[in-house]
Amino acid sequence: MSAPLLRLDTVSRAYGARRAVDEVSLDLHPGARHALIGPNGAGKSTLLHLIAGTLRPTSGRIHYAGHDIHRWPAHRRARAGIARTWQHPALARPLTVAQNVLLAVPGQHVAALRLRPRASAAALDALDQVGLAEHAQWPTSQLSYGDQRRLEVAVALAAQPRLLLLDEPSAGLATTEVTRLAELIRALPTDIAVLLVDHNLDFVTAVADTVTVLHHGQHLTTGTPSDVRTHPDVRRVYLAEADPTKHVPTTPGATDPPAAAPPVLRVRNLRAGHHGAPVLTGVTLNVRAGRVSAVVGRNGAGKTTLINTIAGLHPALSGTEIALNDRLMTGLSARRRCRAGIGLVPQGRRLFAGLTVAEHLALPRPHPGRPRTITARQILDLFPALGERRHHRPHQLSGGEQQMLALARALLAGPQVLLLDEPSEGLAPAIVGQLAAIITGLAATGSAVLLAEQNLALALDIAHDVAVLDRGTIALHAPTADLRADPTRLQDVLAVPTGSPR
Amino acid sequence: MVNAYLVSLAATALVMAVLAMSAQLLVGLAGQPPLGQAAYLVVGAYTAATLATLTSLGPVQLLAASAVGAVAAAVTGLLAVRVRGTTFLMVTFGVGELVHAAAGQWAPGGSEGTHTPPVIALPGLAPMVRPGWVYLYVLACTLIIGAAVTVLTRTRFALLLRGIAAHEPRVQATGHHTSGLLLAAYTAAGAIAGAAGALLVAVTRYVSPADAAMGISAIALAAALIGSGSMIGACAAAILLVAVRDWAGGLLSGHGSTLLGLSFLALAYLPRHRLAGLLRLRDRGRT
Repeated sequence: MSAPLLRLDTVSRAYGARRAVDEVSLDLHPGARHALIGPNGAGKSTLLHLIAGTLRPTSGRIHYAGHDIHRWPAHRRARAGIARTWQHPALARPLTVAQNVLLAVPGQHVAALRLRPRASAAALDALDQVGLAEHAQWPTSQLSYGDQRRLEVAVALAAQPRLLLLDEPSAGLATTEVTRLAELIRALPTDIAVLLVDHNLDFVTAVADTVTVLHHGQHLTTGTPSDVRTHPDVRRVYLAEADPTKHVPTTPGATDPPAAAPPVLRVRNLRAGHHGAPVLTGVTLNVRAGRVSAVVGRNGAGKTTLINTIAGLHPALSGTEIALNDRLMTGLSARRRCRAGIGLVPQGRRLFAGLTVAEHLALPRPHPGRPRTITARQILDLFPALGERRHHRPHQLSGGEQQMLALARALLAGPQVLLLDEPSEGLAPAIVGQLAAIITGLAATGSAVLLAEQNLALALDIAHDVAVLDRGTIALHAPTADLRADPTRLQDVLAVPTGSPR
Repeated sequence: MVNAYLVSLAATALVMAVLAMSAQLLVGLAGQPPLGQAAYLVVGAYTAATLATLTSLGPVQLLAASAVGAVAAAVTGLLAVRVRGTTFLMVTFGVGELVHAAAGQWAPGGSEGTHTPPVIALPGLAPMVRPGWVYLYVLACTLIIGAAVTVLTRTRFALLLRGIAAHEPRVQATGHHTSGLLLAAYTAAGAIAGAAGALLVAVTRYVSPADAAMGISAIALAAALIGSGSMIGACAAAILLVAVRDWAGGLLSGHGSTLLGLSFLALAYLPRHRLAGLLRLRDRGRT
């Protein structure tokens, strides 16, 4: 076998006393398709940062293409052919889509006034590979979340890397897009090595030849995807399948609250757009107390716009009617809506970077007019992991802990209806199971929950009814039990061609 | 109506416009706010004043001032580009104050400043004494500098700077030494500020350490911020601020600072993007 392109030699990274990465060794050969999986907080992203150079290892060596690179700065490693994506899209938002890619296209002179035809062709080619060529001249901020993720992959590919590091590339993508991404990665030239972190095990199985499992920063096992999936330790720490009752807490449907109860949140003819382009053209929706309603749909279908418009963070167009307990919310500011009882857990969590967990939990106050439904102490009972991390700041938390904190922060305000925007994004299956249990538990205590979710399995698992958002309206709205009995109905609505090339 | 005072005031406004472009290069493109650009203006002004004992030729003074301004910025920039954001503001402010103090201590003329003879625009022409000619000379130089800056904002270098302003780790991950790029931008800004110093000497025929005062840097930064990312916007704001401070302030018997403060507030609350849109400034600015 040829010499490895990348060799990690007992690499460690410590944050104070906690070792995020603990003596991990790994070999990557040219052409490898290697996946890193593990529970949230296992140190997967940290390991990618160590390889890309955004973090330096506290001990250990990193060899790449015959050089010891563990002291090289990030830009030098990038020039040597290491390209990467971030867990959350790291893009220059004021620039256009094409400009973002052009930042990475090599072989351009810094003082160049005109774009070389070769460079712009390379940029378009990279965009075409991920299916974004049509949006080349769009401002990046107008792309949907999933498209921003694909743009990141395009930026990484445009650099013509020898080693590609992908941090959760499938998070936030719809099923068809995940399939295409898997095909894209498999079809990359065989001299490129790919190291990716992902929680979507089907995606990992489709893409990777080798899978490494990390747990608490330590190497647990390495093997083929099927070996790893059957490995007993992996099943225990990652898939949490040893305790299936923990995973699927209750089966909604059996304990269905009466659907005839008056809706807590009533949305009528909601219309909203981005810069004049209509995204939602008349969404009508009811969310009732004690029930979880899920909104599913492809990327760019307008799920986040819907959630943000209800929360008052995105302007609604005329004709929209949003009412909470028959009180009209349309026209109120986001702050007033929050006080009235609309709670939001935004996509990407949006935690306060400088504040500790305890400070996050001290911030929200329920409106004095409403009974305080939950105290900080109760919250810590609900999320025991947060109790141990009271003095940590968000960047020191794992993705799962961050999501729990965002949820806790929203719950402390005592909302009557809780809006959740893709809560499962970037979470390990075991954590998704915990999250599902918490959401179902909230609904069981009488909260109304509106869930926007890309993860169809989760939506079907916990929602009482599912609405499919397509072309600006609700294309299908049915009780989950019906959809589970007849899954083709859902597939038919979701599998409409996206209109992107290919 | 148009007297000599107004004409020389208009020329001063152009000098401030050039200094505002220097600040805009850093804050509008690279997203790093400088609060010490007057330091490089003064470095350029003293260079021009020193050179005036050898030659009165304006363009020679301008080029020399620009070059020395660039060198000064390249050296002090090593400190500034190690940090970002508010800390960058503090470091550049500190550098500016040090230059201010150094000028009072060691520059020719001490805190009194030094006078220079009138400059000559081109070989063979007479020294420019009348404010009208000086104004035209400064206007021509400002247009040339503005054209050079416009070219600069259309290069790949400017695209990388905008990338740094938006998301620096991303630009690093595409293989660019971002601190190096920022140092280059800082040096270019120093060259522009140095050129503004030579123009200042051409207008006032006098330079003193007071020209390095923090207030000058603050007006340049404020003009750049009011111009919200656009070079022409920064120039327009600089001219407006000088007009408010010196002309309207003069009419109201010395309430220049009051007017300046009020106009800062007014411009901060006015919808700047709409003002800019009126002036068609945002074609290549931020979208």
